[in-house]
Amino acid sequence: MSQRIGEVIEASTTRFTAGAYELLAAPPFGSLVRASTRSEGSAIYGLVYEIRTGSKEPGGRAVVRGRTYSGRELYDEEIYAENPDLAEVLQTEFAALTVGFLEGGQIYQYLPSQPPPVHYSVYACAPAELIAFSECSDCFRAALFAPQLPSDELLAAMIRAAARARPDGRDYLVRAGRELASLLKDDYDRLTALLRRIRP
Amino acid sequence: MGLDLSALSRQVRQMSHTAAMSAADVATRAAQARARYLASAGEEGRWAQAVNLSREGANWLLAMPVEPLDTVRALPPPPAAYSVVATDGSQIDLDRHGAVACYLINIGQVFIRYGQQPKARLTSRPALYYREEDLYLRDGARRVLIEGNYLSARRDVDEGVALADLAEEWLSGAELPALALQDGTLVRWTLANAERFVQDHFIERYLAYLERMRALGVPVASYISRPRSPEVVGTIRLMLCPDVDVPAGRGAKCSECSDVRAGREPSCMLCQGLVDSDVIAAGLAEGQRGPLFISLSRINVDRYGEHLIHFFHMRVGRELCRIEIPRWVAIEPAQVDRVHALVYDQCARGDGYPVAIARAHEQAIVRGADRKAFLGMVEGSLYRAEAANDVSAKKASKEFSRH
Repeated sequence: MSQRIGEVIEASTTRFTAGAYELLAAPPFGSLVRASTRSEGSAIYGLVYEIRTGSKEPGGRAVVRGRTYSGRELYDEEIYAENPDLAEVLQTEFAALTVGFLEGGQIYQYLPSQPPPVHYSVYACAPAELIAFSECSDCFRAALFAPQLPSDELLAAMIRAAARARPDGRDYLVRAGRELASLLKDDYDRLTALLRRIRP
Repeated sequence: MGLDLSALSRQVRQMSHTAAMSAADVATRAAQARARYLASAGEEGRWAQAVNLSREGANWLLAMPVEPLDTVRALPPPPAAYSVVATDGSQIDLDRHGAVACYLINIGQVFIRYGQQPKARLTSRPALYYREEDLYLRDGARRVLIEGNYLSARRDVDEGVALADLAEEWLSGAELPALALQDGTLVRWTLANAERFVQDHFIERYLAYLERMRALGVPVASYISRPRSPEVVGTIRLMLCPDVDVPAGRGAKCSECSDVRAGREPSCMLCQGLVDSDVIAAGLAEGQRGPLFISLSRINVDRYGEHLIHFFHMRVGRELCRIEIPRWVAIEPAQVDRVHALVYDQCARGDGYPVAIARAHEQAIVRGADRKAFLGMVEGSLYRAEAANDVSAKKASKEFSRH
């Protein structure tokens, strides 16, 4: 079973942002997440491309807290333990690139007709779901050519995760590599850089 | 045309110059007043009597000493674990030129527990008031509109009730040391000049909140950053007054000042413009607190009874803060120590200002954008409800400049 980790707080046709329920507990970069939609049995898939933590207040910023007023040194987790209010005023958010959707038990790797509704749940996908989604590599193109994203890093992270989820991970990497080679046949430098990132 | 900044800058420069000149003078006089104050240490009983004798005749605010005047208490060690609740409120006042008569009070509520099981809850609760009984206080045929100062008084009551609710929810039955914090003063002196029935209305509710806190056994304290009150200074004026004669039962009577009659400047002019912190600050090191006093604001003495507000000063960094507590906290030394230690700990965690109050304020604040959104919501909703939705001509004229 996959776990509910947050909810959509901003959505557009090509990407959506979710607030995590637990501070600092965002899904990994490049992981596949699923957002609920208004119709039963359908869902929208996204690849996590950005994670950020900051103040919930507009314009608010975190301040350093490792050295207390009385001169005591606090480290890392201790700072949160000593300031329980921090978990209430800070928020971890993650943004996902929409790469497909589920409808009638079928996965489609192109944009859905509507973005996920704001405040609807976001789940981390379990390995089985990631395997099912990554059987098709149509979304590689969307990830590679999405503007203003670390797109090569994003796709490489997704491919590595999909390979790890499979018992025959190596075969998957080879398949993915071939797909990349055909997508990037005009850009040898970019292709080799990407292949180095997914090399077993 | 707005503000003429170039005309203003000259005046600002003059003001800074004057402020710099007077700072040195204030420091000298504060040192003299402090010397007189310390010379009276050990005679607290006498000066408490003098304060009582002068209550009616003196033109100044007064503070009655409860502890020796030279009291300096070191910071008690803070408990390893404790809980704190705090509330703060903000309001959107009645807009007489607006579409409908209503006001909004937003109360920020904070609970924080420190120690082995840290936990925090930060919430805010808005309430819109528009019914006849919310907008007016009635006394027979008389109606008084709740706005301005009275709205602030209502907000103070709401903050108190919310604080008692929070304490009931989170602190009742808990074994940890606990504290309930408010921002500003516990003495509702803004009501001092209100009509009697208005005063009764608010004071009764306010004291009921303090009574609930007492029943819960949770000490209440309020925190005043950079206090400007001259109550202890008022008592120093009595020490300088040539007319005060405690054994003869004579207090100060400013209307019959013997200095003035003899054509001299009154002896107490030394204290002119000084505030309590000018006098008390010099004796306190980081975390230490000064002596307890009773605030002799008329409303405190006349109305507060068991909840009579006491106060002390505490050094936090470069600032001297004033902490107010009701009598039932002040008479228990262990409770005073707890307030002292916990408020200081809150300031230390909050970089010089109590975290819980700062968080409550963040929750309560109504920003410009929120205010606009609220007013837009009201207008839209009135329009849809097909209710009258006219703003005054004055308000309409302010929204655009017409040429």
